[in-house]
Amino acid sequence: MLTEYLEKTLVGFLFLIFSITLVLVLLRYVFNQSITGANEIVTILFIYTTALGSAVSIGKNEHISINVFINSLSPKNYNRIKILQVLLLVILHTIIFFYCLGWIDKAGGYLMPATGFPRIVAIGIIPIGCLLSLIYCIKNFKNIINEISK
Amino acid sequence: MTLLLLSLLVFLTIGVPIAYSLGLSTILYFLIFNIDLLQVVPQILFAGMDSYTLIALPLFILMGQLMNESRITARLVDYCLIFVGKIRGGLGLVNVISSMLFGGISGSSVSDTASIGSILIPEMKKRGYPEDYAAGLTVASSTMGMIIPPSIPMVLYAVTAQESVGRLFLGGVFPGIIVGLLQLCITIWISNKNSYPREDGSVSIKTILTMTAKNSYILFMPFFVVGSVILGVATATESAALGVFYALIIGVFLIKSLQLKRIYRALKSSVLTSAKIMIIIAFSKIFIWVLAYERIPDQLSESVSALGLSSTSMLLLFVIIILISGTFIDVSPAILLFTPVFLPSIVEMGISPILFGVILVIGLAVGACTPPVGNCLNVCAIITGLSIGKIFKGAIPFLIANVITLIIIITFPDIVTWLPKVIMD
Repeated sequence: MLTEYLEKTLVGFLFLIFSITLVLVLLRYVFNQSITGANEIVTILFIYTTALGSAVSIGKNEHISINVFINSLSPKNYNRIKILQVLLLVILHTIIFFYCLGWIDKAGGYLMPATGFPRIVAIGIIPIGCLLSLIYCIKNFKNIINEISK
Repeated sequence: MTLLLLSLLVFLTIGVPIAYSLGLSTILYFLIFNIDLLQVVPQILFAGMDSYTLIALPLFILMGQLMNESRITARLVDYCLIFVGKIRGGLGLVNVISSMLFGGISGSSVSDTASIGSILIPEMKKRGYPEDYAAGLTVASSTMGMIIPPSIPMVLYAVTAQESVGRLFLGGVFPGIIVGLLQLCITIWISNKNSYPREDGSVSIKTILTMTAKNSYILFMPFFVVGSVILGVATATESAALGVFYALIIGVFLIKSLQLKRIYRALKSSVLTSAKIMIIIAFSKIFIWVLAYERIPDQLSESVSALGLSSTSMLLLFVIIILISGTFIDVSPAILLFTPVFLPSIVEMGISPILFGVILVIGLAVGACTPPVGNCLNVCAIITGLSIGKIFKGAIPFLIANVITLIIIITFPDIVTWLPKVIMD
């Protein structure tokens, strides 16, 4: 459910990135005009796609990794390593989440140069991405436990 | 430093995704040596994603996916068949030429393997070609997807090395053609040796002209996309958006096979692929920050200078490192890690960064076809059901073409640097 919703959002963001970029090119060549802040909006959307897309990829176990070693392990050891992987991801995202909050506290109120949006509009997606990644880590952990109990 | 590299190795070995392995090893480094520096982690992570030029990445991926969803591959295969079908081993030659054309459209070897492989491997098998030969040829010829412009790995290198995307694209033209020609020669030699079949049917000039006219809009695509960057009409990002628009026009109005469902599928696949690469870029920025903090690139550059090697021997040494590491590191992370580490030494020796970029991409393209970590091999194994080892064995003769090309461009660097100089200087 969450994944489906996020995927639709990501598709929407990519479509917006494409549309805005195309409109900017056409405006420049056909009407010799531009939209102030459009490039900044496209970049913000791009950052959103990365933060949310990487969280979704954790849930789908689709991140690029080297699995030669763990694929040769016995099912028992394989699951142990998988649990270790999930724990490491939890530690990483928790640390980034908390340090990011500190950064937002200091710099989140500054305005962005072209759009005039507060910086939190762009930076805020990092802790959101971390939270979603943590949710997916918990889901993956549950799946591994279910696998072991079977 | 040792801790940073050792921990990275451990995390990678236990299968932690490459992006997060980079993040974990740097965090471990900060925790042990300077915990206060942890506060820079989110800032550098954010800076790694905050790039307008890199928006070209999902858009180029989307362009390739849309062309793929439009089912243009079958048309390209039919088109190539009229030229080389009558030569012995014709379908093998069609495979190589289709990859050259498709490389100019998709910019990705994996989508090249998937689309051409799913059509030509079953057909070649039916016509009596050994399956491992067909699969190996498909995988090896797909390397041209990375070399012939537009190329996604070259965009990645250009951004990392702060070089011109247009120059990189032009630098890849001749090496891509050389790889293709060498692979064609190897295919003809093997086909004659094993008496592989010729395809039937005579082809008139009229048929050739009709087919060329029918496919002209597909064949024009690489010139449109690459040309807009080279001529300075559009930036790499804008050119990618124009490419997506062009692909939509072709798929929806000309070929009429691109329905909403397929467009959605292409968008979804592109955005997720892009996120997986982008998160590696973001975390590699933190890793590279630590390397710079420890002055590793400078130290490496000094050590390389102390060796007193000529630029040719230096590049040959890099090729060996790239080929070996390419067997177990995927293309994107390898570009992101090698570029900042090796580029200072390269520049100090007076070697063109464009030449290094092309060498890096060709070398890593070979890596994409070698076990244990070879994305093209994995895709082909899914299509054919063959083992990775068997496909790799079939690909070896054709991958020699890539290695020979590397040696040729190291010996004659002008093959890479001449075209960008002539057109863009």
